[in-house]
Amino acid sequence: MLLGIDVGGTHTDAVAIDIGDAPAVAASCKVPTRHHDLLSSVTEALTTILGQVDKSAVTQLNLSTTLSTNAIVQNKTEDVGVIVSAGPGIDPHNFMPCKDFHVIDGSIDHRGNEVRALSTRQLAEAVDACRGNGVRVFAAVSKFSTRNPRHENLIRRTVCNCKSVDVCEHADFVTLGHQLGGALNFPRRVATAYFNCAVWRLYNEFATAVEEALDEMGLGHVKVNILKADGGTMPLPQSRTLPVQSIFSGPAASVMGIIALTDIFHDSVILDIGGTTTDIAVFADGAPLIEREGIDIGSHPTLVSALKVHSIGIGGDSAISVVGPEVRVGPNRLGPSVCLGGERVTLTDALNYVGACKVGDVAASRKAVDAYAAARTLTGEKLAQGAVAYAAQAIQDATRALVEEINSKPVYTIHELLEGKKIVPKKVYLMGGPAEAMREELFQRFQLSTEVPANFDVANAIGAALTRTTWELELFADTQRHVLFIPTLSYRENVPSGYDLDDAKRDAVNQLTMQLDSMGVFLKAEDAQITHASSFNMVEGYDRVGRNIRVKCQVRPGVIKTFGEGR
Amino acid sequence: MLKSKNTLGIIFFPAFDWAISPTHPERQERLLYTQDQLREEGLFDIEGISEYKPDVASVEDVERVHFCFPDVPSVATRSHLISAGGAMKAGDLVMEGKTDRAFAMVRPPGHHAMKVVHGSRGFCTINIEAIMIEHIREQYGHKRIAIVDTDCHHGDGTQDIYWHDPDTLFISLHQDGRTLYPGTGFPRDLGGPNAMGRTLNIPLPPNTSDEGFLMAVERIVLPILADFKPDLVINSAGQDNHFSDPITNMNFSAGGYAAMNDMLKPDIAVLEGGYSIQGALPYVNLGICLAMAGVDYSHVREPNYNAERIRQDARTTEYITELCKQLPALYFDPPEFVSRDDSRQGIISGDKFVRHKQIYYDTDGINEVQQESVTLCKQCRGLYKVETRADSGPLCLGVEIPVDACPECRAKGYQTVEDAQIKGTYRYIQLINRLDKEYVRYGF
Repeated sequence: MLLGIDVGGTHTDAVAIDIGDAPAVAASCKVPTRHHDLLSSVTEALTTILGQVDKSAVTQLNLSTTLSTNAIVQNKTEDVGVIVSAGPGIDPHNFMPCKDFHVIDGSIDHRGNEVRALSTRQLAEAVDACRGNGVRVFAAVSKFSTRNPRHENLIRRTVCNCKSVDVCEHADFVTLGHQLGGALNFPRRVATAYFNCAVWRLYNEFATAVEEALDEMGLGHVKVNILKADGGTMPLPQSRTLPVQSIFSGPAASVMGIIALTDIFHDSVILDIGGTTTDIAVFADGAPLIEREGIDIGSHPTLVSALKVHSIGIGGDSAISVVGPEVRVGPNRLGPSVCLGGERVTLTDALNYVGACKVGDVAASRKAVDAYAAARTLTGEKLAQGAVAYAAQAIQDATRALVEEINSKPVYTIHELLEGKKIVPKKVYLMGGPAEAMREELFQRFQLSTEVPANFDVANAIGAALTRTTWELELFADTQRHVLFIPTLSYRENVPSGYDLDDAKRDAVNQLTMQLDSMGVFLKAEDAQITHASSFNMVEGYDRVGRNIRVKCQVRPGVIKTFGEGR
Repeated sequence: MLKSKNTLGIIFFPAFDWAISPTHPERQERLLYTQDQLREEGLFDIEGISEYKPDVASVEDVERVHFCFPDVPSVATRSHLISAGGAMKAGDLVMEGKTDRAFAMVRPPGHHAMKVVHGSRGFCTINIEAIMIEHIREQYGHKRIAIVDTDCHHGDGTQDIYWHDPDTLFISLHQDGRTLYPGTGFPRDLGGPNAMGRTLNIPLPPNTSDEGFLMAVERIVLPILADFKPDLVINSAGQDNHFSDPITNMNFSAGGYAAMNDMLKPDIAVLEGGYSIQGALPYVNLGICLAMAGVDYSHVREPNYNAERIRQDARTTEYITELCKQLPALYFDPPEFVSRDDSRQGIISGDKFVRHKQIYYDTDGINEVQQESVTLCKQCRGLYKVETRADSGPLCLGVEIPVDACPECRAKGYQTVEDAQIKGTYRYIQLINRLDKEYVRYGF
């Protein structure tokens, strides 16, 4: 029995799934989300679910939470000491995320050579200044640390001022930039390390509380995983040092839900029409697309990888307005729909009016739409139809723009450019409250097969429950310098001159398997996927002096079982 | 977050699967570290800077500019067509107003490719700037265009292509031809009789550093640009003037390159040479991108930069100061073309300008002999004709009816092609008719 909980903006959804030969929803519920006390929402959902299923059969709980997101949005984060070494390039002060930000002289180049040592004097002063401000969590980030973490390690040692690797008297937590991922992008590394520290304490308190609550409910044996925005999960113990990865995992749960509920083979569009927004995701050959770099948190681009999901301000609760001759919907939500006791007419009221659905008090919708229309010299019919048409058109326009943006993404080799895959959606999948009601109108726009799967109301919790653990790593080898480095694992090894791309691919898969194994996750060899592999001859004068090798390896995000017909 | 003053489109096509040979300077690794540096700096996260993928130039895009013998597919690889397509994309971005400026950071380069192409010269096969420019003129109407070639090598290919074009100003700053490939680019080269002064060469002595480059740009290039009033300024951005470049002898720095770009304010930059792939390109390209976008570049510096060590000596400064005094006159008051008895410089014979050329394709080891002629017409820039033979290969003919051709020159162009087919001994004949956008090949 697998449990899935998705803590959403309005509701916390929970499901229990029986995974026999064919997975089935054994129980599900929705409880209100109490943002000031998320734990109570989680425990309430759990209690409700556990009342309907056999507690001892539960083996796993996957949890998607808005905790870190909320902390950042509501400014409830902790002060962080951010200490960076940048070297030449763009002035790092442009990327200053907080007041305790210190730039230390020193530089490492693109090959990972230390060009200039870190100034120990400046570093000591910076650390003292942070301590003086009472800072207890630190981010250490250097440019090109994914090629050589020397400066970050030195910053960490100075911050802690301790001999032992594990215990530290002067800091509660230090994030090292290179451990956040192997991708190159110094400003994003700074921002990601900062946020990871800023939510660390809050997140860890929540994680501890969840563990204690489970113990009290007699679920101490259950393995807990936390959802990430890229459509994978990470085990709770690992998430404690990477809380930033739990940010914006909500849309991922929805997308994984659709994957679990249907069999997607083609280029497709997924529309999750919620109360306030519609989330649009695009699948290529049945696989969800991810953001090339990482998501923005606040106005800071980060390295947090995420499924490519575009949100527009149109949902069931979106208010209807009339501007000149045009009827518009959204982007604002001004309270619930009239049919559910609200005051302002919404898309859901319009859908009620045209007979596309029967939500709440349909008569109230009709009356309110008529009144709103009359005040603007329109008929109710015209207003409602206009609103539905506007919403469908806006969703289609945004989808088109997203597909176009994806198709214009840059490529780097002749092969990619000429064989370049272009995404041409062949099917539309709808989920979320107004999905069924909007189906016909959207079909008219897209003229593509449009499917609304069963259980679409709790699809996000189903997605959370079935999402599997993922991990990725990047391996970088430089045979001239005889070094292999895997940043996320801080793993360094000497390699011989003959080390080549095949060796690197094999090592990357081995390290990934071992890493997951240490987290208690069994990985089948075919689940490890090499997503990037390149090897460049390095030449000096006219002689080859070595190879520059880059390999990226991942467990592809996915679900462990699907409800689809192809099961 | 950083926001750029000018929107900048970057077309980055490092051709990671193409090389001249495994250890050739123009190889897969060339833009690898540039890519690493740009990514690590977070350049593409700056608001206003975006990355675009290149287009692929078609055979017709190439034939609008070049006479390729035996044909385009035989001389140009797909990588060349994508590199040219990358430059075209940069042109489209600016012309369609999608970005204020654009930088095509593509390879292989193109500025040594001349009007006639039998193979590769100086790592170049087809002239990606010229293909972009003529694409722009065909798509968006005729434009006055200034090309400032800042590659360390003389842009002899671009000079050759625009030798007779009064609407294209070509200025090349380069290491003196007496000391470096291709050994050309002297102040006496000013363009054909119909376009005297539209070509200007600024040969700089070896070891010229930031001071000399910026002085030449300020005192020679900028006043001429101001006078020419081009619709577009294009920078042939070769980065091999760098002090660490292995195949040249100059002392320019990344900061200097950025400052020069800031002064030139090119609408479009197209990457040319630059073979210090670790020590220079990452920093020079970053500096140029920031300067084009109008973002502070003052912190861009090479790790081993030492202004004192690379400073030019007093004699060099004196020499360049003198160049700055003399060279502008060649543009503002070009001498009359005088037909002497030297067919390599060109002679006037009846109503025609005729020139004989010998061209060596160093990359491919091909020798070519050419006879070029241009009608001296009062109504238009004249009918262009070139007879060419590579080594002992077959004789080929190229005929170009210019974009502003008068009815007489147009008719003469068709007549020339017809006569050549009937009476000539040409294996291949190619007609470029810019007036009617007609590109025809015979004998293929």
